[in-house]
Order: sequence, then structure tokens, then C-alpha cells
Amino acid sequence: MTVGTAPDTERLEETDTDQLTISDIPWVVIVWNDPVNLMSYVSYVFQTYFGYSESKANKLMLEVHQAGKSVVAGGSREEVERDTLAMHSYGLWATFQKSDAP
Amino acid sequence: MAKAFKATRRGIIGALDPEERQLLRKLFEDIIELLEPTEPANADPLAAMVGVDSEAVTPSDSAVRRLLPDAVRDDEDEALEFRRLTERSLREDKIGTLRASALLMESSPLKLTAEQARMMARALNDVRLVLADRLKIASDEDAARLHDIDDVADADDVETYLALVYNFASWLQESLIQAMLALKDK
Repeated sequence: MTVGTAPDTERLEETDTDQLTISDIPWVVIVWNDPVNLMSYVSYVFQTYFGYSESKANKLMLEVHQAGKSVVAGGSREEVERDTLAMHSYGLWATFQKSDAP
Repeated sequence: MAKAFKATRRGIIGALDPEERQLLRKLFEDIIELLEPTEPANADPLAAMVGVDSEAVTPSDSAVRRLLPDAVRDDEDEALEFRRLTERSLREDKIGTLRASALLMESSPLKLTAEQARMMARALNDVRLVLADRLKIASDEDAARLHDIDDVADADDVETYLALVYNFASWLQESLIQAMLALKDK
């Protein structure tokens, strides 16, 4: 990812109650880092499409940026297929897989 | 010279020069051309109607592959099967967004509804993905290397010109996203 204007990290505060636990869900959507997508755009997509709070979206975005990938959603196979396609529609590089896959 | 997008109570306002609007429209149209299927997807009209393309293959052009990436990693058969079921719809979705954005370039000043801003952000993103592929931007370092190219006077070869256009599109998209986020808070 690339920086346009750094997102506001001052407001990062959120409980972890909505944290995804990989073992709880059968399928997951992974977003991979790429050098093109703007950090603000990736966060915006997570907020808009998944309805995540700004702080959660920023946290996932930074994980993609720093760790190279992040599990951004999970659910049934149908759900993750739909979410992956939506990410492609936004131009994000996403894949889906079984949550226990390596 | 373009001004940054601004969030107002009447929507998002942008100001682009005629040359800039023409350039963006051309870029949107170029990506549409890349994405247009070369032949009717399927002899079966029902399959075509629901977006299935049993003949779809992984695109040979790396830029198109980035616009329409494999949805499954490390499993070519699975990835191809998913592509055959979904790629045509994704192409059409992107083409529709790019076409609407190209049309928006006809108006000045640009006044965007939230929905139009969303489309334009996606269209600019697709433009940047293709330019980045042509510029061989493969790492954050590559992107940083081109970041400082912002003077038209330096554009003496194709690569520098593409880098200029890429940086312009990046700046414009960033400005648009900031306006969209500001609009959300209004």
C-alpha cells in the first residue's frame, strides 16, 4: 500500500469484542498488500463495504500493510465468495480459503 | 491545475482543467478497452445472462490479471472455476463504473453525489492499478521511487510521463477519498 495522507490514528480505540477468531469460522477472506492501493482507500473500503468502524478498518488496513495480509472477514463459503468479488470490484487484491488452510 | 476535491452540503465538488478531464476520460476509456471481452462470452444466452463464461481463462496481460485477480491462491483449478462463474460480471461491473466516470468528465465544475464519488474512486483505482503495472511498480520501494516525479518539464520519456500521470491520479484519488470521508461526517 502507499501513503497519500496518513489516516488519523489518534482515534484508535475499540474493544476487541468484534475481533474475528479464525477457528470460529469455516471460510475467510484475505486481503493482500500491494504497492498501489492507498491506505486511506483500503480503510475506506473496509468501512464502507463491511461496515467496520474507522478504528477497526484502520487496524486491518495497517495489518495488510505491515504483515502483508490480513483476514478481513469470515463466514460461509457463499459469503466469502461474495466478499472476495466485492473486494476485486474495489480493486483490492483478495482471496478466500478455508480458515484452517495454511 | 486541478484543485483538491471538497466536501460540501451539496455533495463533493471538484475542479479539473479541460486537459485533465480529457486525460482522465481517455484513461477510463483505455481501461474499458482492456476489460471488454473479445468475443461474445458464451453461445448459451442463459449462461451469458447470469454472467457465466465457461471459456474464461486467466488473462495473459498482467494488468488485466491485476484487475481480475485469482480469487483462490495455490489452486489453479479452483481459481479457474471461480473465474468462469464470476469474471464476466466483474468485467461488466468495472466497465459500467469506468463508463459512468468517463461521462462525469464531461461536466465542469464536477459536482458528485456520494454514489458518483464512490464510482469515481473505484475508477481511479483501476486506472492506477493498470498504470502501476505498466510502470512495473512491484514494491513499496518502487512506488516511492516514482513518487517525486511531478514536473511536466521532466516528462521526456514514456516512463516519466506515465509516472506523472500515475502521481496525478494518486493525488486525485487521495483528495477524493478525504472528501468522501469528510462528507460521511457531515
